[in-house]
Amino acid sequence: MSGHDNRSPEAELGLLDATMIGMGAMIGAGIFVLTGLAAEIAGPAALLVFVLNGVVTAFTGLSYAELASAIPKSGGGYAFVREIFDDLPSFLMGWMLWFAYMIAGALYALGFAPNFLELLHVYELVPPPEQIGSIAVPVVDAGVSAGFGLAFGAVLLLVALNAASTAASGSVETIFTATKVSILVVFVAFGATSPMFSGAEFQPLFSAGSGPSAVLPAMGLTFIAFEGYDLITTVTEEVENPRQNIPKAIFASLAVTILVYVTVVTVAIGTLGAQGLAEAGEAGIAEAATEFMPTGLPIIQNGGALIVFGAVFSTLTALNAVVIASSRVAFSMGREGQLLPRFGQLHHRYGTPFVAILASGVVMLGSVALPTQSAGNMSSLFFLLSFIVVNGAVIKLRRERPSMNRPYEVPYYPIPPLMGIGLNLLLTVVLVVFLVRTDPMALVLSVGWMLLGGVAYVALDRVRAMQGADTEPTSTTMTSQERD
Amino acid sequence: MTGNLDVIIAGGGRVGFQTAALLANRGDNVTIIERDGDTVEDLADAWVATVIAGDATDPTILEQADVAGADVVAGLTGLTGLNLAVCMAATEMNPDVRTVARVEREAGDAYTRFVDAVVFPERAGAKVAADEITGSDIRTLVDVTASLDIMQIRVEEDAPAARKDLSEVRFPAGTLVISDEDGERVARSDTTLTPGKSYVVAVEPEVVDEVLNLMRG
Repeated sequence: MSGHDNRSPEAELGLLDATMIGMGAMIGAGIFVLTGLAAEIAGPAALLVFVLNGVVTAFTGLSYAELASAIPKSGGGYAFVREIFDDLPSFLMGWMLWFAYMIAGALYALGFAPNFLELLHVYELVPPPEQIGSIAVPVVDAGVSAGFGLAFGAVLLLVALNAASTAASGSVETIFTATKVSILVVFVAFGATSPMFSGAEFQPLFSAGSGPSAVLPAMGLTFIAFEGYDLITTVTEEVENPRQNIPKAIFASLAVTILVYVTVVTVAIGTLGAQGLAEAGEAGIAEAATEFMPTGLPIIQNGGALIVFGAVFSTLTALNAVVIASSRVAFSMGREGQLLPRFGQLHHRYGTPFVAILASGVVMLGSVALPTQSAGNMSSLFFLLSFIVVNGAVIKLRRERPSMNRPYEVPYYPIPPLMGIGLNLLLTVVLVVFLVRTDPMALVLSVGWMLLGGVAYVALDRVRAMQGADTEPTSTTMTSQERD
Repeated sequence: MTGNLDVIIAGGGRVGFQTAALLANRGDNVTIIERDGDTVEDLADAWVATVIAGDATDPTILEQADVAGADVVAGLTGLTGLNLAVCMAATEMNPDVRTVARVEREAGDAYTRFVDAVVFPERAGAKVAADEITGSDIRTLVDVTASLDIMQIRVEEDAPAARKDLSEVRFPAGTLVISDEDGERVARSDTTLTPGKSYVVAVEPEVVDEVLNLMRG
């Protein structure tokens, strides 16, 4: 009888570990990659952008906490929605979430590259990043952007690692996160005490051209910065006393992350100025650090290198997290019969969801060709959409299954989920309008992905109908209206 | 077809809970319907299944457990009548659903008119208890088949078959020695029955005594 028990991992993650998993994903790359981009759009109000995004996300955090406490499954958002919604909506949710994670992977890879170049630059192994336009690859006889090559290579490496070996456990994540946070604390401590910060300039708060109206698009773009606490719900099985610890971990990780973002962004704007931060782009924090960190230290020589190392380390670990997260969504969809069954199978030798990882890897590799900003736009867009669905799921579940046991209940229901839907919807609309003006390609690709999903859904339905009943050509009519 | 089943279990007591835990470990989606508030709390702490707090015989509660989307409904409370009622109500809501009812005594096929399968956990428990009482020498491993037993039997020092190769021992028809002494290999004709070692044997009930005689003396 006890022979089956080894299937479920021992409950070994405490509240701290669970919190660290959420923080690890959020503090991962967003802070390093997106600060510069937010400053570019909103100026010093980038500070406001991160605070408001944290608040907006908190509403969805409440919904996640309720769902995770009521539905004891480790699959995260897709698993909850699959429990609650019919085939088509849950398919679309999985399809969107899968894409969001994959594009996030591309974003982190693209954030990794310039920071890595910056790290090499600090040790004067390569010329300053702005001078590396492209490197010639003799074999291919074509110029390949160094950044693109690095991002591509990073994705390839982590996809291969995860395809060939099972993922590292949550306790490793705690060490990773602690490392990242410590590095940021060093950054804040040195930055806040540096002479550059004493002359900090936060006025005018809003950038000259667009004023406060730039805050909303910047929020949409950087919304993905607060994606990650949902990863806590993918490991609930391993958390001790999950019905109390999961909600706590969600809120704790959100609160600490907002605090970290606010202090780090304050220091970055204070030292480098919004203008300088914007110009540094994905390597904004790293560049700020090299400005004020002490030099001539033993071993690492330049104190700024520590921060740059933090950025490289964070983007890589975040990339790793989303490689795992995206393949888990595809794997769950395969298990549920919502993708080809092959996606839901483990590899006979490696024991990994091989096909799911490979498929995710292919999309990520393709997405690395995108501009960083487009990748951020698209993953934010899809996270916004999927968060709307998560809030909707809470409402639907409350209405349809009132007697379901909910160890954690959203307070002041139904205001928080409605606020979540409203605010996420607002940001979605703002982001879409913003994309129409500035980045139509991202929009076209997003719509394309959804259309592809529609085709995949219908095709899969046909395949199943053909396999299921050879005698009767079963009803495919009912599924043909999802295009609109 | 897909590996995972959607299972509804009525009754989250000892049997229902253990069943849910086993199924959840296998990756199935389990929903438990439980009436008792304290038990609901315990189930929530254990984190194996979605829990609907309520009476499983109440149709609105059954609906909340989503019988329409379920593969299997199992009535596993201590009350045979309630279990049968739940199964029949579920079949009414979803004719395709497979139903399993826990019963209080061995009843043969009497109930299979109403449900797809019956379980009699006390009997399975009794087998385990009997195994423990006799010690680790004889052990019923699984109870998967209609009457076939798969047992783990330790060879006794003075038993007739001790120290013999399998090819030398004539087991009664209806016997199959499956594993070798350490359980590492499938038994072959040159596998020796070493005293003190345990072997997995599939055996039909009518020859169990013969096999035990050969291996235990």
